[in-house]
Amino acid sequence: MTEKTEIFEKYNNRTHVLGRTVCSITLVLLLGAPFVMGMHLGAMPNLPAAGKAFLAVGIVWFVSCIAEYLVYTPMLGAGGGYLAFITGNLINMKIPCAVNARDIVGAKTGTPENEIISTLSIATASLVTILVLAVGVALLIPLQPVLQDPALQPAFDNVVPALFGAMAYKYFRNNLKIALIPLAVMSLLFIFVPGLISSTSFMILPSGAIAIGIAFLLYRRKNDEG
Amino acid sequence: MYLICGVIVLFVAIVCVIFMVRAYRAGLAIGMDRTKMKRTITASATFAVLPSVGILLGVIALSGSLGTPLPWLRLSVIGALHYETQVAQGAAEAIGLSGLSAAEMTAEAFTTIALVMSLCIMWGMVFSIFFNKKYLKRLGSPKSAKTGGAAGFGDTAMTAMFIGLVSAYIGSYIGGFISGGSGGLLGFGGSWLPLAVVLVSGAVMAVFIWLAEKKKAAWVESFSIAGSMIIAMATAVIINGFVS
Repeated sequence: MTEKTEIFEKYNNRTHVLGRTVCSITLVLLLGAPFVMGMHLGAMPNLPAAGKAFLAVGIVWFVSCIAEYLVYTPMLGAGGGYLAFITGNLINMKIPCAVNARDIVGAKTGTPENEIISTLSIATASLVTILVLAVGVALLIPLQPVLQDPALQPAFDNVVPALFGAMAYKYFRNNLKIALIPLAVMSLLFIFVPGLISSTSFMILPSGAIAIGIAFLLYRRKNDEG
Repeated sequence: MYLICGVIVLFVAIVCVIFMVRAYRAGLAIGMDRTKMKRTITASATFAVLPSVGILLGVIALSGSLGTPLPWLRLSVIGALHYETQVAQGAAEAIGLSGLSAAEMTAEAFTTIALVMSLCIMWGMVFSIFFNKKYLKRLGSPKSAKTGGAAGFGDTAMTAMFIGLVSAYIGSYIGGFISGGSGGLLGFGGSWLPLAVVLVSGAVMAVFIWLAEKKKAAWVESFSIAGSMIIAMATAVIINGFVS
């Protein structure tokens, strides 16, 4: 084992210890906050009602969390994974941000470099969000009329399309063979079953599976030819 | 209330700084290029600004019914813009309110909704605690490399997964335009604005890539996503102004 590998292994092992510890603390804080708020307001959460509400709306999100965990953890690596699941906003920020950073520096999945870049990227993005929200909340009264100006609403309603438009060009142009079929299948599906539009985040899985399947076929063919 | 939420947000901010410093130091220790790491930080910071403003709007939207501190906490820690409103609404209905409305909100309903919002989305963190190490070890194990070159395929698979993610969203904008809104199936009654924004953003990105590759202006790469987004979002305002 080289010295660099040894340093990275040590770093990675400590990342898991640190990640598990901070995730556990964050969980306690998050689940404890409603009770502390309850003490402050003089009304504790109604646990049977919370259980009922969880069964009504939470099961879907539980399944979604399993899928998100399985799909995104390999993209994010250890440090990035712990941080992203603590800070949230994965689809609309952390995943594209980490993928973009990886692409800019040319890091390969599963390498120590990718692990470092992913962690740096997600930590930075999370800090920016925390800062923007903290400043925004502090300036909520003067900022509210500007941010809620009806003239600006189309801009803020289209943050995600603006993000995915740029990312689509960047990734589709070199991978047209992979992108064409999932894009066509998803478009047709949403055209003929428009009810699915409200469940787009769940449709990522079949769309991703199609793209990975095509990529694997192309990879095999390239290897066979090589 | 601000103090309770502020302490948790501060804790998470400190965690981010610790992870960042550790990663930077480890990067230097394994011989990574300092410039690459600095570029990662710059690119990620510029990338995150606009989506963060979008998330701030989510805080404002939820503050009408839940006050400001809870949405601030939820969207700074673990939350997701598309998730919070849906779950808060669902939780409010499940505990007997007619919807997420400030007029009906009681202290008990508020704390119960806050608990449900945490309960529903905490599972990614729970799985990370129990399975991250084993899962990542398994993905990176030499055994998987022997089974049909899966390790070599890993990089392509991640890109493909991301392409699948983007395809699903763009497909939903196409479907929304063609079969959404009041027009119904194939009625072209939905909004075409998201689709126009996708196209403008992609076109601007093409210009940035052209500048980076053909004009050797590599620095634009760090700002290309944020720049494309700003121009596309501004276009949405202009289009909407013309249409209405």
